[in-house]
Amino acid sequence: MAMTTQATPPTAGGSLYIPTPARIRAIEDLTEFERLFELEFLDGHPLGHDPGQFVQVSVLGIGECPISICSSPTRQETFELCIRRVGNVTNHLHTLEPGAIVGIRGPLGHGFDVSEMHGKDVLIVAGGLGLAPVRSLIQYILDERSRFGRFDLLYGAREPKEILFKDDLTEWRESADVDFHVTVDRPDEQWRGKSGVVTTLFKGLPKLDPAETMVVIVGPPIMFKFVVLEVLARRIPQHSIYCSLERRMKCGIGKCGHCQANNVYVCMDGPVFKYGRLKAMREALE
Amino acid sequence: MLDRMITHSAFLELVDELAGKRRIIGPVARGERFFYEEVERAGALDLAFNYCVYGPRAFLFPPTETLFTFQQIEGRFAAEAVVEDRPTALVGVHPCDINAIRLLDRVFEKDHPDEHYLSRRRNTLIIGLDCPRPCTDGIFCSDMKTNEATEGFDVMLFPLGAVQEVGASGKGGGGDPQAGPSVRADEPPAAPSQYGVVFGTPTGREWLLYSHKSTVPTAADERALEQYHRSKAAAFRRAIKTPSEDLPALLDRSYDSLLWEATARRCYSCGSCNLSCPTCYCFNIYDELDMTLAAGERKREWDGCQLPKFAEVAGPHNFRAKAASRLRHRIYRKAKWVREQTDLPGCVGCARCDRACTAKISSVEIYNQLAEEA
Amino acid sequence: MSKPKIAIFSLTSCEGCSLAILELEDQLLDILGAVDIVNFREGMTERSWDIDIGFVDGAVSTPTDIEEVEHFRQSSKMLVAIGACACTGGINTLKNYQDETDCRRYVYGEKFEWFPTIPAQPLSNFVKVDAELPGCPMVKEEFLEFVKCALAGKQFRLPENAVCVECKKKDNLCLYEKGIICLGPVTRAGCAAICPSYGSKCEGCRGLVSDEALAAAGVNLREQYDVALEDVLADFRLFGAYQGSELP
Repeated sequence: MAMTTQATPPTAGGSLYIPTPARIRAIEDLTEFERLFELEFLDGHPLGHDPGQFVQVSVLGIGECPISICSSPTRQETFELCIRRVGNVTNHLHTLEPGAIVGIRGPLGHGFDVSEMHGKDVLIVAGGLGLAPVRSLIQYILDERSRFGRFDLLYGAREPKEILFKDDLTEWRESADVDFHVTVDRPDEQWRGKSGVVTTLFKGLPKLDPAETMVVIVGPPIMFKFVVLEVLARRIPQHSIYCSLERRMKCGIGKCGHCQANNVYVCMDGPVFKYGRLKAMREALE
Repeated sequence: MLDRMITHSAFLELVDELAGKRRIIGPVARGERFFYEEVERAGALDLAFNYCVYGPRAFLFPPTETLFTFQQIEGRFAAEAVVEDRPTALVGVHPCDINAIRLLDRVFEKDHPDEHYLSRRRNTLIIGLDCPRPCTDGIFCSDMKTNEATEGFDVMLFPLGAVQEVGASGKGGGGDPQAGPSVRADEPPAAPSQYGVVFGTPTGREWLLYSHKSTVPTAADERALEQYHRSKAAAFRRAIKTPSEDLPALLDRSYDSLLWEATARRCYSCGSCNLSCPTCYCFNIYDELDMTLAAGERKREWDGCQLPKFAEVAGPHNFRAKAASRLRHRIYRKAKWVREQTDLPGCVGCARCDRACTAKISSVEIYNQLAEEA
Repeated sequence: MSKPKIAIFSLTSCEGCSLAILELEDQLLDILGAVDIVNFREGMTERSWDIDIGFVDGAVSTPTDIEEVEHFRQSSKMLVAIGACACTGGINTLKNYQDETDCRRYVYGEKFEWFPTIPAQPLSNFVKVDAELPGCPMVKEEFLEFVKCALAGKQFRLPENAVCVECKKKDNLCLYEKGIICLGPVTRAGCAAICPSYGSKCEGCRGLVSDEALAAAGVNLREQYDVALEDVLADFRLFGAYQGSELP
């Protein structure tokens, strides 16, 4: 790949805040509001992230915003971001075409500790846009399948039209590597699947082994609370439950203060936390 | 232990010489109040100031600064960092503000070193000026143990002349601990005649020693310093009923207190407490385009956790939508969380927040009311 | 992309906000390069009614104003209120607290009956307003920022903080320390705290920053300060920032 003389990654005497240019390779519509962007750095270096980490995405002149990485580091050449248009930067990103250059800072924050999950059964419960950050972990587990035990994946969306990654869902449903179930809160006439909130899918789960199961819960706070109840009721210890938080972030490197939830800078200590830690952060789940 | 002695006039001569090499920032009288300002000559400084309305934070971490400039060229962008390195001297910095700068140093160095701050800081000489007595009413620096600075300065001056003068004129700061500070608040102390000097860094030592304007301290000078510390200890009174090391535990018991909401009813959420605080370092980042729309700057500006939209995400959802939760957040940061994160005090007790609050919300009052509840 | 067509209109006002645009001397040529001004009484004679962004200064205070603002709305894809008069009613609203006939007789003399009037009101009381650029006068840098955002396809957002933020950034001594009741804590920032910077209290020309701040003012001014609430209320009403009969 041709090297460029454009903005370089930060060096001593430079600025931590300068993003590295990355090219949009492909764009896919996921829903009316979400698009999947596949990106590669112009200098070809891999992002080198852990599942669950995030990047700061820049459109220079418009601004910058944090986006979780939704592809696995095991798929190295490019990385993917699922972007909902809700603000100035994300609206602008949705106007871009493949080939456009954006700025990336990262990977940032702490993701999932996959080594801790090795040899264990894994249960992932995702709600709404929460599927985006855990997709990096799902892909990772599928790519490194032999290193994990049983793998259950539950996904809940409000409506069928809000369901993300429909191609992936088809693949997961047919795969023998994962036991995958999806439900919607409000089914429409075409919907043939299960309906109800995501906790209703727990009825179909096999018995969880508290000592051998790691649970990952990512979704809106209200869903998180109900899922945690289900999981705790199955005697899963608090240190075996992970979750990922969303906060406002400006710097992404533990200085600007915007993402602070109680005594924790989500951008540095998170966005992935264990439930044992999270429950002491009162603001995290409010 | 003193390193050197220097007279007030010799010190000013030294600063005048320094002005050829560094921009000089120090206390200047503006009406009845003092502010840190850039001066051309040492004579413009008023080192007998009581307190500066704002700390010298703005000279290390400006209210608005450009992080980098950018240009779009044929669909690509080129960015260039803006890092300032102008040699500067902060002259006449009180221990509270030195402790505040130590915290900023720690925060901007930590994990991801921030060159924008650190470059300015590396190029700044800090000449501290110790406080023989409380600078005004309402401060609580002795509660926070920040009315003395052990590091964070290049040179620290102890106004030994001033103490003798003050003692002689019976203006307070004397030996009777029951008398307390009898000086009228806001009245500037008398101009010091000479300073005892303590070096904080080799740079400070080198600067002070090169000119031969200072002298070796005598045994009498050392005794004067001991007397200074004794009378200083007596002059500073505690304002907060709870020792600062117990404030985290007090706050742990007070998360659900009604006091937050009761106090916040008066809060304008104007952010004056944050913006006048020497230890506040939160910022916003935003872009500015020029009229070509192809070039511009990414900038940062002071932000504050009391401002209504501080914790709002696109959507929108505000994680601290209520003034009560924002007020609680600020007090927890100042007395508990910042210390947990940095091992340094998050509040230096300068009371600028309390003075800046037009709703007269007082952090001292909050701590004491919580202590009463608990 | 073709240049956006811009119009600048005036209702009941001094037209100082329209003039503020002409005062953007250094950037005016850049703006003219980026947009087409198709209708601007203060600056040109031609008129066109095919408008992308219509800027309007002045309050609605006559039956004719109502007709005109409806016409501006219909002719403009985006309608922007500029200045205190268009955003909050501005200084014109002072007449709302006086006897209407006396007021007209004072202004127009014997022929007062020829000049019908209504209480002065902001544009938003009559038509949908897409954006507001408040202040007396409008802050011209904010106008420039608005135009740049429109050109870049970025949503413009007014500052959502109080004037105190800008005062502190400018190293000003708080006027409350001099015993002056300033409306900075309840007024929307964006003016670079120009009045307090020159020693004058903020009079709220950019409107209230939030209802919560106003409620806090009610509590504080009653209980923390020994002031005549009538005088304070008069300040709140000067630019139409708040038109209630007492503080909340």
